[in-house]
Amino acid sequence: MALTGFPEPAPAGDELNCVLCHKHRGLSRIDENGKFRLFYLNQELFDAGPHRRNKCKDCHSDIDRIPHKPAKKVTCTQQCHIVEPSGNVKFSHQSIADTLATSVHSSLDAEGNPKPHHEDYPGCKDCHDQPLYRPLSVYKGEVKPGITARAISRCKSCHTSGDFAEDFYEHVTSRLHKTRFPMETIEVCAKCHQDPDFRERHELDDVVTTYKQTFHGKLIALGSERTPDCLDCHVVPGENTHLIEAQDQPTSSVNKANLSATCRTSDCHEKAGAMLAGFQTHVTYDRDKYPLQFYMLMFFKALMAVVLYFFLTLIFLELLRRLFPRFAFFKDKEGNTPHHRIRNKKPEA
Amino acid sequence: MRFFKRLIFKLYVLFLMAFTIWYGYFMFPLIFGFEGKEAASTSLLELGGAEIETEEERMFAKLIKEQTQTSRTDLGYKLIEQPYIEGRFHHIGFELQEDQASICVRCHGNVPHDESREIRSFLNMHAFYLACETCHVAEDDGTDRQYRWYNKDNGEVVPNPVAFRDIEESYRTESASFYPTYGNYGAKISPGKEQGGAFAFIHGTKEMAFVERFISEQDRLGPEQKSQMKQVIHRKVSSDPIVCKECHNETDQYLPYAELGYPRTRVGELTDTSVVNMILKYKEFYIPSFLSPGTNDEGK
Repeated sequence: MALTGFPEPAPAGDELNCVLCHKHRGLSRIDENGKFRLFYLNQELFDAGPHRRNKCKDCHSDIDRIPHKPAKKVTCTQQCHIVEPSGNVKFSHQSIADTLATSVHSSLDAEGNPKPHHEDYPGCKDCHDQPLYRPLSVYKGEVKPGITARAISRCKSCHTSGDFAEDFYEHVTSRLHKTRFPMETIEVCAKCHQDPDFRERHELDDVVTTYKQTFHGKLIALGSERTPDCLDCHVVPGENTHLIEAQDQPTSSVNKANLSATCRTSDCHEKAGAMLAGFQTHVTYDRDKYPLQFYMLMFFKALMAVVLYFFLTLIFLELLRRLFPRFAFFKDKEGNTPHHRIRNKKPEA
Repeated sequence: MRFFKRLIFKLYVLFLMAFTIWYGYFMFPLIFGFEGKEAASTSLLELGGAEIETEEERMFAKLIKEQTQTSRTDLGYKLIEQPYIEGRFHHIGFELQEDQASICVRCHGNVPHDESREIRSFLNMHAFYLACETCHVAEDDGTDRQYRWYNKDNGEVVPNPVAFRDIEESYRTESASFYPTYGNYGAKISPGKEQGGAFAFIHGTKEMAFVERFISEQDRLGPEQKSQMKQVIHRKVSSDPIVCKECHNETDQYLPYAELGYPRTRVGELTDTSVVNMILKYKEFYIPSFLSPGTNDEGK
């Protein structure tokens, strides 16, 4: 370190002292394609997730000088220095990429040829930003979000070296529940599935908007974490979250044959009847694709409009009469309205 | 008395009539929905242009349509609200305070440097706490020039940033959980002079009013008038800036760091070999191979 002339001690994962420059919030530029590029690294948030054990160069491996030229895109499938404890091999996200390649989100078809609009299919960074731990403090039956010294003290009584206890505890307790708040998961899917151009290219319905109209969507909007988001229904049961299959695949969780079982998993509607899944979950009102739903919607809209505006007009006219009780378009020479003439008419002898 | 009763009654009826009309207006979109509006807003036709054909046109339309986007990450014990930048992996954590007081930023934006590939990001980094005219100052004798921090919201002189205390503290603290923020001080350094017993920045409220007027009137100006006004606006700045080593050197710095509140350790960091060498030896400054254990061919 002395040879490089860096006086400031660098954080654990930053042996090269990259934060000497990247700690500045304004380190940025507009790139050749007009996109804003920010090179700031929030060290506090970086240290709040599993990647904190990695060195910068584990991912940004092409950087070999300071200051450096524009770095290449990071490949998430490359091996990093972390040894995966269960297999004692260097860690890589390759297995996740392999799973993704068999899912509906693969850019290649079954024969290995690019699908139409293959550039639309997601890579790692399209869905993932830097993961952050969402640890739980579990102590004497009490569960609280976050980590406390008390919760981890029992681990540290044996695992004293380094940050092993903190890393392990935070990793495991984060995995005891969703690592993302459900609304964040929905917003990730919405980046593509709510984009009108994207949906048009791939002939897809607006499933995100229709999901938000459901009971599930509204509960999540109100802050529930116990309500299913996209992944809970669309991931093949027992597989990792990257295996989402098209509806027409026999093993898909949302295939008609499997839909009932998906709703009745132990975490959800375990005791419900098979007909629970008999409704159309994502109702879109496209006239060509779903004419019945479209015309039913039109009927109810028309019915509501007629009823509402009829009564609003009635109320308005009634109020108008209260404002001008003696107003009439037609009056006789004495200034009486037909209504008054009838009321004041003397009975004939 | 009777007159007042009738008046109150009439006003009450008028209020109900207005409410009935408003309610009908309010219910209209709820009944008939918002379909189609989102798709229509992305069209360049709204901007008086043609159909979107290229990626650049798509980006232009998107930028016009969008406000600055933000994202929320709920960790259960902490909520992170931050700017959303498409394709960015690392979290940002907080919003930057925009510079509302700089006449340069009104046209050139917060990220103005893009010519020099090697140092453009560094220059933009400095633009978050140095006013443009601090480095791009027009030549004068410079004898009575002084530097102060100005508030990014209103352009007024403010005391030296308290964030420097955190930065100084971080040098004394071993704790890895202490993270000071660099560069987000809510203020910028700018040059000025004493005038009539009070300090005044070289770009003040008068210059800002002039720029605002130019922006609002420029569509009515002829090309020559535009050039003339631009020259007037830029008369106090120079395209030849102060260079890096004038601040980042060990002996004689262009900016009076201590007067501007920079703590002693930070001044040492800015003027010692870590930064100075990086600037002087840019091309030769390679990461030595001992920092990449087991990979002899890495590093040079």
